[in-house]
Amino acid sequence: MRITEHPVLGKLEKKPVTFSFNGKKYEAQAGESIAAALLANDIRILRYTEKHGTPRGIYCGIGHCYECRVMVNGERNFRACITPVKQDMQILSQHGEIL
Amino acid sequence: MTYDLVVIGAGPAGMSAAIKAAKAGAHVAIIDENPVSGGKLLGQLYHEPDSGWWVGRNIAREMIAKASSLGVAIFRKMEIWGIFPKWNIMLNNGERLTTEHVLIATGAAEKAIPVEGWTKPGVMAIGAAQTLTNFHRVKPGKKVVIIGVDPLSLSVAQELKMAGVEVAGIYPPPATEVSSDKSNPKQIIQGLSAMAHLAPNALLKAAGKAANHPTIKNIAAKCYPSFGVKVWGIPLHLRKTITAIEGEKQVEQVRITAIDGNGNQKNGRTKTMGVDCVCISGGLYPLSELAEAAGCDFVYIEELGGHVPLHSPELETTKDGIYVAGNITGIEGAKVAMAQGELAGTAISSRLGLLQKGSDAISEAQVKVQDARANAVITFQQHIESGREKLAQCWHTNVQTSSGKG
Amino acid sequence: MDKRTEICRCEEVKLGEILNAINNGAKTSKALKLATRAGMGICQGRTCQPVLEQIISYYTNQNIQETPGLSTNHPVRPLSLEELAGNRKDL
Repeated sequence: MRITEHPVLGKLEKKPVTFSFNGKKYEAQAGESIAAALLANDIRILRYTEKHGTPRGIYCGIGHCYECRVMVNGERNFRACITPVKQDMQILSQHGEIL
Repeated sequence: MTYDLVVIGAGPAGMSAAIKAAKAGAHVAIIDENPVSGGKLLGQLYHEPDSGWWVGRNIAREMIAKASSLGVAIFRKMEIWGIFPKWNIMLNNGERLTTEHVLIATGAAEKAIPVEGWTKPGVMAIGAAQTLTNFHRVKPGKKVVIIGVDPLSLSVAQELKMAGVEVAGIYPPPATEVSSDKSNPKQIIQGLSAMAHLAPNALLKAAGKAANHPTIKNIAAKCYPSFGVKVWGIPLHLRKTITAIEGEKQVEQVRITAIDGNGNQKNGRTKTMGVDCVCISGGLYPLSELAEAAGCDFVYIEELGGHVPLHSPELETTKDGIYVAGNITGIEGAKVAMAQGELAGTAISSRLGLLQKGSDAISEAQVKVQDARANAVITFQQHIESGREKLAQCWHTNVQTSSGKG
Repeated sequence: MDKRTEICRCEEVKLGEILNAINNGAKTSKALKLATRAGMGICQGRTCQPVLEQIISYYTNQNIQETPGLSTNHPVRPLSLEELAGNRKDL
């Protein structure tokens, strides 16, 4: 899913970091958002809703809708779309529980 | 901490204002919840008729460097949870900034178009797809369809294609209680022809030209081919819509059905197409919750995109010292936002006594806003000028009826 | 629109529930919010408010009100007590 070559923006310079999502290790680009890093690894389901437990992913992509919130290093409710991924970050998808 | 000016939102409007006021000698802070400053500039990428590629992230980078060099305090990853007289800005790290002048430049949010299945992962707002593609350099999907035919969706379609994403089609939204003109092929054609005159993007330009062609304009809604018209290799559909987005856990396919020239579904027959991403483009609306919390008066002006804080020709709201600039005042492009930011920065500098006596700086800045509007290569709201006039009228009436300010 | 279509994504409120509330007399987005929780969730109506306004306008034949109808209150953004106390954890 990574756009490595772009006709206007050029070649993507690799700056790899590793992180985990739901216990599995993945590679990301340093500085990119958690949501972008997961999508680059073809992962779209970020959490499950409180009421009906239905899956949700990136919606607005700029921090307005809060649909993409995930647990980071044991803390809840980080918006994956505006939280930069860092080396060894441990990310979990949230399920049902209240805020 | 106390500042001469606190700017909320580090997009094109906020950054321009901060730079302008700091240049004049003001002590300025700028706050944004994002880790990187630039707002919607970060995802922008389009070709300008005269000056080549507009790469928003590069513009943003230059502005950040400029603001830093002028001593602007830049707060990143900070949310504002409150704004209290007169004026205290409350950050979510417990900090409080005190100032007499606040510029609210929080931009816009996307209008949703609810479609059956639109909560499934893989369905996203068109702006998310733009940011992912051009800023993060990640494809929003391998095979994407777009719901909503407007200048933004046509621009993003081309950006997606340029990045190697298969754009399987652009469709009007299904006609519902909330879709209004957006699902009416006749209205879509009329809108495109009005908004695409200087379009910086081949797809938009072609669509606009086609829409301007008298024959096409007259018969298009009726006789538009059922297989769509390929523009820049992307099928643009006006006689089909997406009625449902399906998939067990995430997007797997869309359900497509034929519509007539007015957007009504013709028969119950549908077919499906496999995709992994659906982008919804319902337009933008001014994001104004902080102005509301501060107690500013509002007007609803459809032509500007929704509810906007009532404001003066110098961009001050009905609350003393609170200014607005950029998309919170009405939906327009980044260059208008930048010009408005400069105007607000100039007006506030003047109030701070930082401009020379008899300076024409404010009226010059107002002319620059009008020029930016007149030269805009993309228009997002069809009747923006009349929206601006309505607002000016409302302000005029407000000044006449109320003697003092809040 | 199908009555099962979700309108408020945060509180998972469907069109059918919104229409029931309108039939029971809710004529503003604030009244709708109190009746159904639509617009009351973590995004504070940022996604559904324009849709709610259009639905009300369509079914009650009224113009959209001048002021954004959800009545923004402090805190404008979700805020934990830890954050309020100045103990925000930065990553």
